[in-house]
Amino acid sequence: MIKVMIGNHAVSYGVMLSRVQVIPAYPITPQTSIVEELSEFCADGHLNARFIKVESEHSAMACCIGASAAGARTFTATSSQGLALMHEMLHWATGARLPIVMANVNRALGPPWNIWNDQTDSLSQRDTGWLQFYCESNQEVLDTVIQSFKISEEVLLPTMLVLDAFFLSHTAEAVDVPDAQDVDRYLPRYQARYRLDVDNPHSFGNLATPEYYQGFRNKIQDDMIRARTVAKKADEDFESIFHRSYGFTEAYQCEGADLILVTSGTVVSTSRIVIDELRKEGRKVGLLKIRMFRPFPFDDVIGALKDAKKVAVLDRAISFGHSGIFAQEIMSAMYNQPSKPLIYSYITGLGGLDVTPRIITDIINDACERDIPPQESIWIGGKS
Amino acid sequence: MGKQITFDKKEDLPLVTSSFESMAWNKTGDWRYLKPIFQDKTPPCNNSCPAGEDVQGYLYLAQKKKYKEAWNLIKEENPLPAVCGRACMHPCEDSCNRGEFDEPINISAIERFLADNAIKQGYILPPIKRKKKKEKIAIIGSGPAGLSCAYQLKRIGYQVTIFEALPALGGMLRIGIPDYRLPKDILEHEIDTILELGIQIQTKARIDKETIAKDMKDFHAIFIATGCHKSIRLGIAGGDSRSVISGLDFLKDIHFGKKVPLGKKVAVIGGGNTAIDTARLALRLGAKPFILYRRTPAEMPAIKSEVIQAENEGIEISYLTAPTRIISKGNRVTALECVKNRTGPPDSSGNKTLIEIKDSHFPIEVDNIISAIGEIPDISILPEEVDLENRLIVTDESLKTTMNGVFAGGDVKSPLRSIAHAIGSGKRAAIAIDRYLKAKTLEDVMDTIRIGDGPGLSMRSYLQRDDPSRRKTKQVVRYKDINIDYFEQKPRHAVKTLSIEERVSSKKEVHLGFPCETALQEAGRCFNCGVCNHCDNCYIFCSDLAVIKHKGKTRNTIDYDHCKGCGVCIEECPRDAMYMEREEK
Repeated sequence: MIKVMIGNHAVSYGVMLSRVQVIPAYPITPQTSIVEELSEFCADGHLNARFIKVESEHSAMACCIGASAAGARTFTATSSQGLALMHEMLHWATGARLPIVMANVNRALGPPWNIWNDQTDSLSQRDTGWLQFYCESNQEVLDTVIQSFKISEEVLLPTMLVLDAFFLSHTAEAVDVPDAQDVDRYLPRYQARYRLDVDNPHSFGNLATPEYYQGFRNKIQDDMIRARTVAKKADEDFESIFHRSYGFTEAYQCEGADLILVTSGTVVSTSRIVIDELRKEGRKVGLLKIRMFRPFPFDDVIGALKDAKKVAVLDRAISFGHSGIFAQEIMSAMYNQPSKPLIYSYITGLGGLDVTPRIITDIINDACERDIPPQESIWIGGKS
Repeated sequence: MGKQITFDKKEDLPLVTSSFESMAWNKTGDWRYLKPIFQDKTPPCNNSCPAGEDVQGYLYLAQKKKYKEAWNLIKEENPLPAVCGRACMHPCEDSCNRGEFDEPINISAIERFLADNAIKQGYILPPIKRKKKKEKIAIIGSGPAGLSCAYQLKRIGYQVTIFEALPALGGMLRIGIPDYRLPKDILEHEIDTILELGIQIQTKARIDKETIAKDMKDFHAIFIATGCHKSIRLGIAGGDSRSVISGLDFLKDIHFGKKVPLGKKVAVIGGGNTAIDTARLALRLGAKPFILYRRTPAEMPAIKSEVIQAENEGIEISYLTAPTRIISKGNRVTALECVKNRTGPPDSSGNKTLIEIKDSHFPIEVDNIISAIGEIPDISILPEEVDLENRLIVTDESLKTTMNGVFAGGDVKSPLRSIAHAIGSGKRAAIAIDRYLKAKTLEDVMDTIRIGDGPGLSMRSYLQRDDPSRRKTKQVVRYKDINIDYFEQKPRHAVKTLSIEERVSSKKEVHLGFPCETALQEAGRCFNCGVCNHCDNCYIFCSDLAVIKHKGKTRNTIDYDHCKGCGVCIEECPRDAMYMEREEK
């Protein structure tokens, strides 16, 4: 059934179709309408879940941990400062091996106070052990929610799916809402392997001595790596039922490209148009969309970029004192390759700055003109 | 210590650490230096009840729909809940912690509901299990003090006889409180439940010094509770005139069916409950009464809500107005000359002094004057051995007078003239007489039976003083001690009242009682200050599983082998029914 809906509601529908059982949530712009819609679903009986109002995001995640540990399929959503407040609990969810799924609506962090889009919030949580997916459209958002549960419950690691504030969260698009029976077929009821059970009491998360601790952490990394295989299979299975798939990355017009632009989220959509225009002008440019950020899709990235002369990475975040975060990741992925492109780091679109076709074109032109990438990132647009 | 499992390879490791055996061997209680203790404290309502009712206790039972048990609990302390539910000035509500949160619990309406419900359901008191004692006690006066004393002495096991000067029992409850506030069938029902215990009564038995000396030789103790039945005379020119009626006589005469001829314009002088009741009764008899009070509304001793009702009924009250002279034509009063007062600085007793405003005299046309400026005891009946001070009987803490074996209570002893105080003093006398007859002192048990630091004594604590379980500490729980995060604001349920038209055309009761559902909801507003109500917050919050639940009504206990003394139970106890003690190690 095709419905016109905003990105946030696409999340809510994905959650409903996934038959989530517990939703602890705390409101924050621009996430709030996700959980608002879910509370309606719970109230009107469309979703048989416990909706728990909590006093902070830290509590929301703590509550998710409790619910998931008890074996419930668990979801929450947050944004920006809210995600930052969860930080401690994000690590815990990973170490406790809980397949929690969370939607994070990318929003800048204050101060200066700002409610608009950039990726600093989710990228700051890069090392917490959560899988991360960056979505481009409302359809992708809905589908990724369902896929996330599928992957997480297999590898027992939590997943964060990320969508751009306002550009997706509050923008309506036509979305094909899958049939509930099909989703049930794709995503059966969650059967927890380890579960808090009052009738069979165990304590979890107990102290581990140094000789053992590293082993537990090593197993997390093993499963992160395994998550690539699992996610690939989940995407293929999804395609066989719903006729849509997304991959970890998407190479657009990269065939024979001298310069490839790398980016994520809604900037990808705008970039497609720019690339099309420049291709018409006969310029050899391509585009690589990064959808899966953790685990990092090394093979896909290397495969797409190894033959290009230059790569321009457009980041909607900055690691202060270093460079764009996606740029770092791309550089490190390519470093050991025998043939590798020059990699340029561009920072733009912070705090909701509109990344227009003009800005994207300027970035491509700038990269083409510079023979050698400068050590520091290049800031484009705004007052920078 | 439990069995440790070792792993050789990463592959053997589980995904998460977990225990497979009990960790109870790890006695984490050793880490504790502060110890949480379950301990009920005194709720402010209990603390302020002069009759010593376990107010919180019966509100809790009412919350659980245990209306009979709730009624029984009141009856342990006070034999007259249907009376108090109507006519008590309810200091419990003034001290209710809920008053600082939104509005106090409507305790009086719940008490009335429980008592009326008991009447409706025909509940009877549980039989007295105590052995009958041979000692006989005489109670002089059958007002609330006398009835309360007789009732409690009977429950202890004594043989009790009540002597009452009037033809019927009840004292001031009968003659001083009109039907619209306290219907007489209700009063009689409660008196009957007392008499049913097996109490002898002698009505129309006016006692004096001679009868006390002669006829009461057989009694082992005497309790004098003769009240204040003599009206203070109006000390103004013409005040002794026969045409000035005493407020109390008026109420009494109407009660006993005497005809009191009233004109239209009836001036009632005074600011106490007698004045208010007199005016409201005169209104119901067809007069147009008004009240003159020499002080300000703030100083008026009458129950505030009753004053408001009187005003609602159209009775005008002139404050700072004092009568100075009665003007008569022949035998007939025609006018009352008054003067306006203003207030000056407070005197040594803290009351504002009154200063007459010069040349403010003015006459008011009147048909009748009813003086209700106060009542005093009739001391002419008392033996000389009984010492007096300010026309009141002098006693010690145990209500013992200066005459051996003679005790006194109620209005004849105390200036704090209220029903609840009278009931409380009757109970205190009963306990004191029991102690006296056993050649022991009241003082020895005071610490056990006194409720908090308030005026009331607990008969339950007295009769069960060998059982210290669930005894409350003296500490009174205040609003700051309540964890208000656990409560939501809910307005107080008000009782419905009869329409003004219906009131003045009848003697029907003005206040209608709570329906059961309302009583239940109102009782549900109670914080249960200082008293565990099994909310189980301690159990829910204890992260060490060191709060142990037990089957039935037994309260939770703490497993001190594992309690680390973090204090979360105390922090999250909504009602301060716990405390923390430092542990010396």
